[in-house]
Amino acid sequence: MDLNAWMDEAGLVVCVGSGGVGKTTTAATLGLWAALRGRRVMVLTIDPAKRLANSLGLERFGNSETRIDLAGLPETQGELWAMMLDSRSTWDSLIARVAPTDAVRERILHNRVFRVMADTFAGSQEYMATEKLYDLVSSGSYDLVVLDTPPVKNALDFLESPGRLISFLDEKILGWFLSPYDRATVFGSLMGGASTVFFRLLGTLFGSDFVDDLTELMRDFKELYEGFRTRHTETLRLFRATTTHFVTVCAPTESSVEVAEFFQAELRNRELQRTAVIVNQVHSCQAAEDDAAAVLGPHVAAVGGVDTSVTARLLARLSMAHRRLRDLAAAERILIDRAGRAATGVRFFCEIPRLDDDVCDLQGLHEVGRALFPSS
Amino acid sequence: MSSAVARLLDSRVLLVTGKGGTGKTTFSAALAVVAAARGRRVILCEVDSQRPSTEAIFQAAAPYEPAKVLPNLHLCNVHWDGALLTYLQRMIPSRRVVALILESAAIRRFLNALPGAREIVILSRIEHLAQDFDLVVVDMPASGHAFSLLDVTRSAMSLFRSGPVKQRATELIDGLILHKETRVVFVALPEDMVVNETIETFQRMKRFDLLGADPLVFLNRATLPTLADAERELLAKLAGEPLEGSAREFVRAGLWEDRLEQATSEALQQLGDALPEPPVLVPPTGAGGNPRAVVAGIAAYLGRQLGLTRRDLPWT
Repeated sequence: MDLNAWMDEAGLVVCVGSGGVGKTTTAATLGLWAALRGRRVMVLTIDPAKRLANSLGLERFGNSETRIDLAGLPETQGELWAMMLDSRSTWDSLIARVAPTDAVRERILHNRVFRVMADTFAGSQEYMATEKLYDLVSSGSYDLVVLDTPPVKNALDFLESPGRLISFLDEKILGWFLSPYDRATVFGSLMGGASTVFFRLLGTLFGSDFVDDLTELMRDFKELYEGFRTRHTETLRLFRATTTHFVTVCAPTESSVEVAEFFQAELRNRELQRTAVIVNQVHSCQAAEDDAAAVLGPHVAAVGGVDTSVTARLLARLSMAHRRLRDLAAAERILIDRAGRAATGVRFFCEIPRLDDDVCDLQGLHEVGRALFPSS
Repeated sequence: MSSAVARLLDSRVLLVTGKGGTGKTTFSAALAVVAAARGRRVILCEVDSQRPSTEAIFQAAAPYEPAKVLPNLHLCNVHWDGALLTYLQRMIPSRRVVALILESAAIRRFLNALPGAREIVILSRIEHLAQDFDLVVVDMPASGHAFSLLDVTRSAMSLFRSGPVKQRATELIDGLILHKETRVVFVALPEDMVVNETIETFQRMKRFDLLGADPLVFLNRATLPTLADAERELLAKLAGEPLEGSAREFVRAGLWEDRLEQATSEALQQLGDALPEPPVLVPPTGAGGNPRAVVAGIAAYLGRQLGLTRRDLPWT
């Protein structure tokens, strides 16, 4: 199966990798390519580059599904949609949807503990990405969803532990905030002893106001708990499906290749499908020698009318630049080989050359796609 | 420049952050190495890292308790479990109660999930280290996460309206975050996205009153433009010619380098405008992929600005 055929069949593609390697650009490229091949695609990103966001019309729209205008690109029946994940509003709309009554919803949304949790940047982002994903995939509105994960090593943590909020809702802890009757029946005396100590401790450490806020949140959350748990189980099942593919993106740099190796191990351990490893931003240099004067002399003469000292300086400079480029390409080749070894067992191992201009619009993405996908 | 770096290394705590991939870890290590070479007792710590990157640089484990790796230089990983134990031991006199709490994986997860609790526990450890060492260099998480680490401590204050945790949070804000000898260090690259994120993070920190002293930016892999106008014009003319193969490649190489240099110039301008102190430019060290060699290169460069010689620094 080649890359194009794979793009025609995938249902969910998750891109992982370290920061600064063009992961978001790659995710957007995969999405665009699939759309140009006639599929209805949604690209979900966490933190797109401002310029890329602007060119895709993302910055203004935040947490809502936005269709991208593909004017200027080859005609297609397919569609490209994109969304930037805004964790705060996702939490609020999630609660609004899952809460059984208006009163419960309002209490939760205004609860101090909840507000701080929802506003916290770290930790909730990864979890919210999976929540949104679950919505999008189960809606059946898209043929393919491409998820761009945050550029952190624990990006896959949401698969094991359901995020910081759910950790909160661990059944044991939840039990300690239920009424004394529930505590007695659900937990043995040993647990009962520990829970009393813990409860008192919370009050001593964090103040009684906090414990009151927390208790109220726990009570309201109890009703949502099952819903969250079920959704989480369903999401895990989705990640293990055969139509779900994990793509690791890196650049030929020591740190990003190390992270790529780390992700291969993580994906193997969690038995998730490692479909592709993509090395992005690769520099190439074909010529073996660095004498700019020999190679460019005639052309400079053709251009004509230039001071000989200016010419000499420029040619000397180009010789040095070429040498440096060649050294860089050679150093990158070593790292690419290392990434290749980590990619053993992966279906596709690809390189994308560093393009002359920064990718900041659809044309740029299309160019990246042409460099990545074999012409069909 | 040398005075800016010298002043930086005379601080008490350095919080080194930046967008992922810019070189935070290598700069944290280089700053620690140079500070140690100047005679201060330094500890370099990572924040709750599962695979401490400093281990590859120093070829030594980074445990929770400080471990000495070079003269005047210790290493540690502010691991959550360790930091929680330290914190609880100081807060709760009863060993039995502390043990009871830590025995339960559920409780530990709960406390980790509690907004503000994790951050307070980690910053608390950092503040303790600042009491035991002359300088603490903290290899912080990447920009957004670093911001949260500092900011959630403040927002948690609205949750914990009384009690010793709130008191500790107040102490940390005044004694660590806003302390005039605590400095935030940004590591940036001459790339649009990185420069923008650096400026945004700085502005957010300022807006939420998380900076006690002025931050300093290191512009990594910086190379200022060296092409004269006439040379650049000739290059542009050549780029317009129908060149093939090697000839095309030489021109490409020239354009590539010129673009990198222009980017440095632009980054220098933007960062200089947005931040109170101009960035410190650090050229590429040409040290290749070896993490220790890269750190040694940066340390050598910074050391030279401060009058240190090769002999004063390790690994030369």
